[in-house]
Amino acid sequence: MNKLKVTLVVLLSLFFLYGCVQTNILDKVGLTTLVGYDKGSEHKIETTAVIREVNPEFQSKVEVITTENDTSKGNRMEANRRLSKKIMVGQMRVVLLGEELAKEDIRYYLDTNLENADVSNSIYMAVVEGRTAPFLTYEYKDIDDIGQHIYKLIEQNVRQEFMINATLHQIAHDYYSIGKDLAMPIIKRDQEFVELSGVALFKGGKMVSKLPAKDSFYVKIVRDTFKVGLYETILDNDDIPSKILQKPTDKITIAFDAIHSNRELTLVDAKKPEFDLDINIRSRVLEVFPDINQGDRKSVAELEKAIEKKISKEIARVIAHSQEVESDIFGFGEKYRSIVRHSNLTREKWHKLYKDMKVNVNVKFVILRDGVFE
Amino acid sequence: MKFKLPFNKKQPQPINEAPKESLVRVASASDHFIQSIQNATNNPADLIIKLVPPNLTLIYIDNLVDIETLNNDIIANLQNKPHETLEEIEIAMSIPEIQHSNLLKETVESMVNGSVLIHVEGYSQVLLANIATRESRALSAPENESQVIGTQVGFNESLSTNISLIRRYIVSPELCNEKFKIGTRTNTSISLLYMNGIANDQMVNTLRQRITDLYIDELLDSAVLAEMIDDNSLSVFPQMLLTERPDRFCDAILDGKVGILVDGSSMAIIAPQSFTEFFQSQEDQNLRWQIATFLRLLRLTAFFLSVYLTPFYVAAVTFHYEVIPQAFLVPLSESRALVPFPPIFEALLLEFIIELLREAGARLPTKIGQTIGIVGGIVIGTAAVQAGITSNILLIIIALSALASFTSPSYMMGNVIRLIRFPIIILAGFWGFYGIMLAFCFILIHLLRQTSLGAPYMSPFYPPRMKEMRDSIVRMPIPLTAKRPALTRPKDKNKFKPQPVKPKKS
Repeated sequence: MNKLKVTLVVLLSLFFLYGCVQTNILDKVGLTTLVGYDKGSEHKIETTAVIREVNPEFQSKVEVITTENDTSKGNRMEANRRLSKKIMVGQMRVVLLGEELAKEDIRYYLDTNLENADVSNSIYMAVVEGRTAPFLTYEYKDIDDIGQHIYKLIEQNVRQEFMINATLHQIAHDYYSIGKDLAMPIIKRDQEFVELSGVALFKGGKMVSKLPAKDSFYVKIVRDTFKVGLYETILDNDDIPSKILQKPTDKITIAFDAIHSNRELTLVDAKKPEFDLDINIRSRVLEVFPDINQGDRKSVAELEKAIEKKISKEIARVIAHSQEVESDIFGFGEKYRSIVRHSNLTREKWHKLYKDMKVNVNVKFVILRDGVFE
Repeated sequence: MKFKLPFNKKQPQPINEAPKESLVRVASASDHFIQSIQNATNNPADLIIKLVPPNLTLIYIDNLVDIETLNNDIIANLQNKPHETLEEIEIAMSIPEIQHSNLLKETVESMVNGSVLIHVEGYSQVLLANIATRESRALSAPENESQVIGTQVGFNESLSTNISLIRRYIVSPELCNEKFKIGTRTNTSISLLYMNGIANDQMVNTLRQRITDLYIDELLDSAVLAEMIDDNSLSVFPQMLLTERPDRFCDAILDGKVGILVDGSSMAIIAPQSFTEFFQSQEDQNLRWQIATFLRLLRLTAFFLSVYLTPFYVAAVTFHYEVIPQAFLVPLSESRALVPFPPIFEALLLEFIIELLREAGARLPTKIGQTIGIVGGIVIGTAAVQAGITSNILLIIIALSALASFTSPSYMMGNVIRLIRFPIIILAGFWGFYGIMLAFCFILIHLLRQTSLGAPYMSPFYPPRMKEMRDSIVRMPIPLTAKRPALTRPKDKNKFKPQPVKPKKS
């Protein structure tokens, strides 16, 4: 009988404690799909949130609300005062940062989202050229839900490997690990469109420079492996071996998709430091303009050589640029730390070393197939 | 916690203190004998007393005896021929089953079972000629367990017909048949069937003991018996299979299981039975193994879908909006927007309506039942959505889980699936996914604790019997399933000699 009493107590407490659980019924909450942070006046944070509300009268609608307060939660409370529904952030997909704010320090915005258990770690982060508030409140002609649109835009480009992958999880990893700096896509409004315009380079928590969107291919190929990406490159006159040309021209444009790439990083000299960067790319050539004779094996080999030369030149340029602004987005420092014993590497120490680091880029480019594709 | 059964299965048999009536002897004088029979049977209207001159008295109960045999083989042989001794009479009649008795009680019992009493004036002994006839319907297709490929015959209500059906499937002297009488008032005959040399003695003994220990006054159906001889009668999960298919019964018996047939019931009991076997159909044996495996996996999926889909919806919409995929978010919240109730109430209401429809459909005559199904499904479904009582998506989920619950080949298990959904929905509405997990753990622990005739209910998953998974939620080809399930602890472990994996080339 004693056991029966215990069961009864447990069952009764189940019933009475029911009232203590907070419910978030789907149609009674406003779902934040995107949040943009800006620098407000007097050290305040200006937050722009894209919130989807569902009402019986007008089906579902998207509201963009800009508020200014000292904290991110304070902004949420302020936004709550303007809406008929409780604001929840569990469905948030994208966090945008204003350029001005990114140039200062992003640490607070990273932490506040990381520490919130409601926020998924797989949300995307990006930097907006200019301020986020006008970017989000602009009434795009063909875009119904700006939050969902930006999410799909970034996701699609990341999947296709046109853009580097910058989820909250990855950014937090890069931010807190010594010997690697984070990078994010840059997004901007272009007339009636939203466009990914480049890659933002960070030194610690500060944005220090940006690369054009075309260079994200080189960033990606040095950072990690490549599986599906499509790329187009231009061979200049002095790179072109004259033999393969059918008629004289001053440049050749080549579009190829890298079926597979891998990179290998070896530390040659720890003191200097000096790295060997070997990159293997196996690809299919999709388009060549103007036409060259691809039937000839020799001319294909010449073409491979030319592309190798071109890519290694570009990679060297991108790395040199990142060295200049002391932003190690490729993770050379991680490699250095893992190999050199008792390096006692700190962020400052590495940034100093990184500036004078020497990298020997060695690209091996193999054309697996050419001709008819897709 | 172990719940004690309020019904004591092992009631001690009341000690019969040699009641006087059981020792009363048969009177030698005819009129005394007739009087005593009339008293013992409360002089019913269908008691026929026929005097055959010069010195014989025939007593029987109308409709219990075969009139044709009575006329041709008894009365015709006895009439107008003086017989002096009982032996002479016995020789004169062409009846196979004749007994002698001098006790009144035994005589009356035999008569109630369909014997004709033949009393000779001056003898304190009677002849009991058994010419019983039993009313029973013709054999028909099994209505509740129909299958496309396979035999189309089911048990009927006659014990002797059912046993003959089984004897026709298993033509072997090793098929054992033990008879018992259960019920102090109904005196129902039941048969315990098993294969000698396959079935485990311990299991047969346990079942025999459980049956003989029963002390009840009536037994009208095998489902009642199954509930009383279960290992845990308080559990919602049935631990013995009720089937009306003779082929399924025989298959089980040949696996080493023990079967019980009850007179007057068209359902046979099979034990021991594991949980997964409730999701197997006899048709699986008749199909190719790939198709049978697909069907078994389909039924298992249907089980989980049926039990957990509605609670999942309730929990996700009430508490965990984070897990809803983005593409699904807008349609889901738009369909919910008009509904004034919280999701738990919405779901319970719709489940209740579906159960009402099912119950109404089951109780009504077949023709009206179909109409009710259509009216209920279309009219109530569409109207409820338009009136804003439920959302479209929930309607689909509820209909799907109701449909899935009917895929279980055992109707008993289908009922259980439909019932355990309700507490899970309530828990999901109270506590979200935590509530669902709580219910899942509770059900899992409960299932793990169950036994069927002492055999583990969750076999072959717990205890893990890897080789027996070949014939559990999947069905491997017949050469790979040469062993009988260890669930039954069979004396003969192999159904046939398994072929070597790589036969030598000759």
